[in-house]
Amino acid sequence: MPRYNAPIMCIDQNETRRYAGLKGQTNFPDTLIEQACTEALIMTTPKGTWNTYPYNATTQTILSNPPLKLTSTNLSRHLEKAVEVVIIAVTIGEQIETKISELFTAGNYTLGLLLDAAGTAAVETVADAINNFITVQNTNRGLQPIWRFSPGYGDWSITDQPHILALADGSSAGIKVTPSCMLMPRKSVTAIIGLVPKEIISTSITCNKTSCERCSHQNCLARKESQT
Amino acid sequence: MIYIFDGAMGTMLQENGLPPGYCPELWNLEQPEKVTAIHRCYVDIGADIIETNTLGANRIKLTHYHLSDQVAALNHAAVRTARAACGPTTKIAGSVGPTGKLIAPLGDLTFETAYNVFFEQISALSDAGADYIIIETIIDIQEMRAALLAAKAATNKPVICQLTFGDDGRTVTGTDPATAAIILEALGADIIGANCSLGPDKLLNIINTFAAHCNVPLSVQPNAGMPELINGQTVFPMGPVEFAAWGPKLIAAGASYIGGCCGTTPSHIKELRKTITPSIKIKRPTAISHTALTSRSKTIFLGADLPTAIIGERINPTGRKTLAADIRAGNYSGIKKEALAQVKAGASILDVNMGVPGIDQATTMRQVIEDLSLLVNVPLAIDTTDAATLEAGLRAFPGRALINSISAEPERLETFLPLAKKYGAAILCLPIAAGGVPKSVSERVQIASTIVDAALNIGLRPKDLLLDALVMTVAADATAAQQTLETLRQYRKNFGFPTVMGLSNISFGLPRRSQLNSAFYAMAVASGLDAPILNPYDQEMLDMRNAAACLLGHDSSGQQYSLTYSAAQPLSQTKEMLTNNPLAAVRQAIINGEKELVPDLICQCLSAGIKPPDITDQALTPAMNTVGEAFSQGHSFLPQVMLAAETMRVAFLTIKENMPAHQAVSVGTVILATVQGDIHDLGKNIVAALLENNGFAVIDLGKDVSPTTVVQAAIEHKADIIGLCALMTTTMPQIDATIEALKQNKILAKTIVGGAVLTSEYAAQAGADAYASDGVQAVNIAKKLLKI
Repeated sequence: MPRYNAPIMCIDQNETRRYAGLKGQTNFPDTLIEQACTEALIMTTPKGTWNTYPYNATTQTILSNPPLKLTSTNLSRHLEKAVEVVIIAVTIGEQIETKISELFTAGNYTLGLLLDAAGTAAVETVADAINNFITVQNTNRGLQPIWRFSPGYGDWSITDQPHILALADGSSAGIKVTPSCMLMPRKSVTAIIGLVPKEIISTSITCNKTSCERCSHQNCLARKESQT
Repeated sequence: MIYIFDGAMGTMLQENGLPPGYCPELWNLEQPEKVTAIHRCYVDIGADIIETNTLGANRIKLTHYHLSDQVAALNHAAVRTARAACGPTTKIAGSVGPTGKLIAPLGDLTFETAYNVFFEQISALSDAGADYIIIETIIDIQEMRAALLAAKAATNKPVICQLTFGDDGRTVTGTDPATAAIILEALGADIIGANCSLGPDKLLNIINTFAAHCNVPLSVQPNAGMPELINGQTVFPMGPVEFAAWGPKLIAAGASYIGGCCGTTPSHIKELRKTITPSIKIKRPTAISHTALTSRSKTIFLGADLPTAIIGERINPTGRKTLAADIRAGNYSGIKKEALAQVKAGASILDVNMGVPGIDQATTMRQVIEDLSLLVNVPLAIDTTDAATLEAGLRAFPGRALINSISAEPERLETFLPLAKKYGAAILCLPIAAGGVPKSVSERVQIASTIVDAALNIGLRPKDLLLDALVMTVAADATAAQQTLETLRQYRKNFGFPTVMGLSNISFGLPRRSQLNSAFYAMAVASGLDAPILNPYDQEMLDMRNAAACLLGHDSSGQQYSLTYSAAQPLSQTKEMLTNNPLAAVRQAIINGEKELVPDLICQCLSAGIKPPDITDQALTPAMNTVGEAFSQGHSFLPQVMLAAETMRVAFLTIKENMPAHQAVSVGTVILATVQGDIHDLGKNIVAALLENNGFAVIDLGKDVSPTTVVQAAIEHKADIIGLCALMTTTMPQIDATIEALKQNKILAKTIVGGAVLTSEYAAQAGADAYASDGVQAVNIAKKLLKI
């Protein structure tokens, strides 16, 4: 089980604004965003772990022991050219959650909200760094990772969360899953990254981040504006 | 002289029948003749150096094959099989690859374990007669540091250090080639290079950068281009002729050891041999001679012609009780805060001192260095008088640190200088000798000279040395500043090494220290100070730093100076309104979220005789309504609403403080809960905050709340409204269960539900009275339901 506690030296303020629902707003004090990003950074303990498995795209099955059959149409389509999959689990720890609760109790609602957004930006940055690590490691095998897909995206049910966490060996990074399939610490991410032969990539598949367009949460605070 | 390495071993083993998943190194024992035959292919076509089949022959990698007790046997056999293929002049490089694990804090492998694993393998290779040790395909500089330190301890043979870089020109853990060259040359690498992952075209730039930053010979072993997986086979696209054509370019860039990595075959090496004249003399560009300090991913150069580098002094518990107590308790968040804030304030190097009496300083130093190496990318100065603490810090830091400091006292020279040499650190020479602090300039120069000589004698290079000019307090000696400034000038004249000093001692015991310190700063940088140790937050000093940078020509055309000082401070709109209409000012402050202004404004209203209910009705409530409307229409956003609510809360608290008798009347009681099984409470907290600041009494039951608890609370608090939230599809049914429980218990309170996955349709089928898509809507619905 590979392990990479990817360091993050800054939290993206624009992403924090987006997760806080500020979209294109410019008349919100930068100092508060900056403060939230700095505090979140101090409370972040990044941890990441993953495992690689062969994948049968025809039967939509991860060839783990025991195998895991994927039932999500969106995910199966996303992985249709993959020959292997990497299952990752990433967290920034729970210190930040305690702080957010404390801030709300003390009436510092805005910083609490922004810290939550900065935490989301942070865990995504850690996941990006691990994604990059996996890219570098697999390029030399002629395999190219495609963008990560998490339980809950599209029609992929979060009830797969316990299986995915186990396949990533997420418990070794201190991540647990509740009976209702939520990750603890809350600022954690699991995802599947398809590995596709490079010759196919160049012709037919995009490796970039999935946009918000496919997501059904139309009134999500962080929804990105359509590119078109 | 150019030396040709061999090409890939793994590909050749597979071609010779190595089954997939089988331990390649085991063939050294089981099929030595096949391994020798591969080596011989390379020797026959002209390889000068062949590499042993031992890339994964370390204890950690061999564990996968249950062969961890075979390290010595496999490495010995590998050298034997290579030797059997050698010609009269062929040399053998013992190949040492990565452990496959990252060293803490990036991974879970301790530095000591990594060191021991490498020491074991390298000792075996060396004992068996390898001519070189080649540490290769390493992706993290800290793993390379552990391997190189182990190699230096295990053998006297030349050590080649080859890192693997990604497409972005950095190792995957962030080290750029300049930083790598500086760290590895200082640590004693005999040859520095790059291999694997990239083709020769991409490695050319990396070799160029290496050449510009170190003086040792360079090696390169590119892949045969970037591979593709075709019909289940990894195929490297670059043929022998195309590959070999890069040889002369790589040599012109500075490489004198050249071979191939993944995808290269004897044909590639044969072509390469043809393109290269062995006796060619390469003209290396002159490497940068500046003193350099590095972190894992950044290099800072110091010198007379470079911008002044600020060394932040704040990570030091001396005289700071809270920081000392935190360090003692193992709580490093204060240190992390100081690190980030100092870097933001312009520090390009951070001094780290863990001098708290009675603690295990070595362990603390290691932990803090590890934490800081994850958080900031600036080089660190390890500030200690204890050798064990110094070694712990130097070992843990994944870069080239500065040792602060080494005096001329014999025990310091004896213990600190070897550590500087071993770990490739730079040293700050402090001109204090056994007899005490020298007052005169000539004494200081003399003592500095003693330290410099001792450092050079032990093998440190001129670019490893920095000089401290020593600052005494001017209150005790009127000539103190003059002595220091003259010392700086003499240092520049006699040595030319970068100069460093802690500035603030000059003003000890005097008022307005900041003013004295900044004046001294200006004089010192003009006299040759390159890297002052100071408090980067000091505004007066910051202004002086900006001015000095401009005057010394480090701020082109004063651009940065202009940017910093030309912006006018806008006046707060609210402040302008204050004198005319205090209620309007309160309203505006709430809308703007100006939390700091509100207590004063409320006091102004109260002094003007405005009653609290009027403040609420005419300023606070209309302001929140305005903010709410702006949010509903998409003109403002959630953080702005929360900032307004927070400001509103401060307003209420100020009224309460000033008029304790005043009791705000609740407009209704709301019970809030995130349903059972759900641990998300941010949205619910937001709703609670908004309701409270709109006059509702809120009972917040928290997250993961059972239907029974909601029912009990509704009865106990005579709730008017019950707000329930669920974020996930898996917990959504608990909304139904809770509403059902409320109905069964004949609770008449109205129910409002919300949360990411909920919809108005779902709310209706669950039997809720209303669905709210956000906090502002929740407040509006609550008011409507209670007919407010």
